[in-house]
Amino acid sequence: MGAKKVIEVPYVVELPVGPQHPALHEPLLLKAYAEGEEIVKVEINTGYNHRGIEKLAERNNFYRNIFICGRVCGICNTVHANCYTRALEYLLGVEPNNRAKYLRVVAMEFERIHSHMLINAIMAEILGFDSLFMNMMLDRERIMKAKEILTGNRVIGDYMMVGGVRRDVDEVKRDKLIKLLKQLRPRVEYYKKLFIEDETILKRLVDTGLLSRVNATKYSFVGPVARGSNVRIDVRASDKYDAYGDIPWNVITYKEGDSWARMMVRWDETLEAIDMCIYALEHLPSDGNPVPDERRLPRKFPEGESYARVEAQRGELTYYVMSTGGVNPYRVKIRTPSFLNVIHSAILYPGYSIADLPVIFVSLDPCIACMERVAVVDVDEGRRRLVRLKDLAKGVY
Amino acid sequence: MGKPKILKLILKNFVSKPATLHYPLKEYRVIKFPYEHTLIEEDARGRHYADLTKCTGCSLCKLDCPADAIEMIPIPEGYEAPKINPRKIYPVVNYFRCVFCYRCVTICPVNAYITTSEYRLASPESIDSSQLSLSTLKKASGG
Repeated sequence: MGAKKVIEVPYVVELPVGPQHPALHEPLLLKAYAEGEEIVKVEINTGYNHRGIEKLAERNNFYRNIFICGRVCGICNTVHANCYTRALEYLLGVEPNNRAKYLRVVAMEFERIHSHMLINAIMAEILGFDSLFMNMMLDRERIMKAKEILTGNRVIGDYMMVGGVRRDVDEVKRDKLIKLLKQLRPRVEYYKKLFIEDETILKRLVDTGLLSRVNATKYSFVGPVARGSNVRIDVRASDKYDAYGDIPWNVITYKEGDSWARMMVRWDETLEAIDMCIYALEHLPSDGNPVPDERRLPRKFPEGESYARVEAQRGELTYYVMSTGGVNPYRVKIRTPSFLNVIHSAILYPGYSIADLPVIFVSLDPCIACMERVAVVDVDEGRRRLVRLKDLAKGVY
Repeated sequence: MGKPKILKLILKNFVSKPATLHYPLKEYRVIKFPYEHTLIEEDARGRHYADLTKCTGCSLCKLDCPADAIEMIPIPEGYEAPKINPRKIYPVVNYFRCVFCYRCVTICPVNAYITTSEYRLASPESIDSSQLSLSTLKKASGG
């Protein structure tokens, strides 16, 4: 008796991209399943970069934590420190003066400029456009210099303190900063024009990694990824923390929802941030000293809990701080925007080719900080499966 | 496919000076550079050490250091310990652990820290601040 039925199973290649991979700058495993050149499924495995910052924060006092939280992520250190510091200010009932608020905004927007320029440069490098990458990084030096003038260090600012900032700017420094920003603005405009007109970039980015408006809200994407899909979500506009309520600026949204729209949101935000910084520096209020005396700040914090959120470069960042009336916090909970953007990004890849995978991944501006999922291993059956935190809390696993 | 838009910039870069330079080099072929390393701001946060004529040995900088980089050690024999320092201890900053947040500088009750903008730390000698700190003290006579 011969065979009556032939079942053809399509040949699917399992392709691990990461955690150590030349195209990815972050330790993350994207397990892609490809049918020929086309990706059919992507699994995202995290947990290669777990450092236990939240636990560390419980063992250190409130003030040491300002610097520890600033080191959760190198690129967005000022926003992390600002969010944690504002959570502490809510606990204490302290409010910084207007000059400190303006300076905080300037520091955070400097960081947004250099972060967005960096991810756009990395995108150029991923596309194989190395000369553009190098030119962008060269122009990024201007903003790094500006950050050095303002905060005292090129990357890690350590600029925030409860009740204000840690150093003031004088007239000379202010003029230098405005000059640097005005030099940078035409360069950013040039690169934006390049991203609109250059065919090499357009061919790789347009219609790659499409994210519809419905999916952007359904899967809780935040930051430029959501704004690239025409979702108007920005904590700076909804909370108006620090001086964001006083400085004129716009929320940038694009309708396209592809990788190109996400990069264009970042370019427009960079231009917007440069204008905001120039405005803030030109209209810097002088209502007292923005630098608090760190020796006179209270060591013990009152009992209570507080919750603060900021718009980091990658989206909404939240801090929850709980105090039981001691020197150390009882609990510090950090939710980073990349967690939402990267965990749910598996829906973006299917249907595109393997070469598009790094492009889509970089267009999300990934920043792998403290991301972990719970895995349950069934010892009897030897199976391993992922369980949602909601089910784990109910005891259903 | 049209002309690459970046072509003009690339051609301009062919004839311009190099933007970066390897650290110990002072010149590139025939072009001389006016500096030997990246110029940084004078108040950038660099290597800092305690001025032992002011330090009271209160250990507050050690307690508040987020990186646990500061250790309090006794002032060695042969140095005149000032009277304001009854316990005769002084802070030593381990520059390899230090994150240069300057919390110790701002928290010090007597402003004892001397700050510099020296960021080049690759040196086999000054891996901590003990030599720099002790240089602020006078040697004991006959010691």
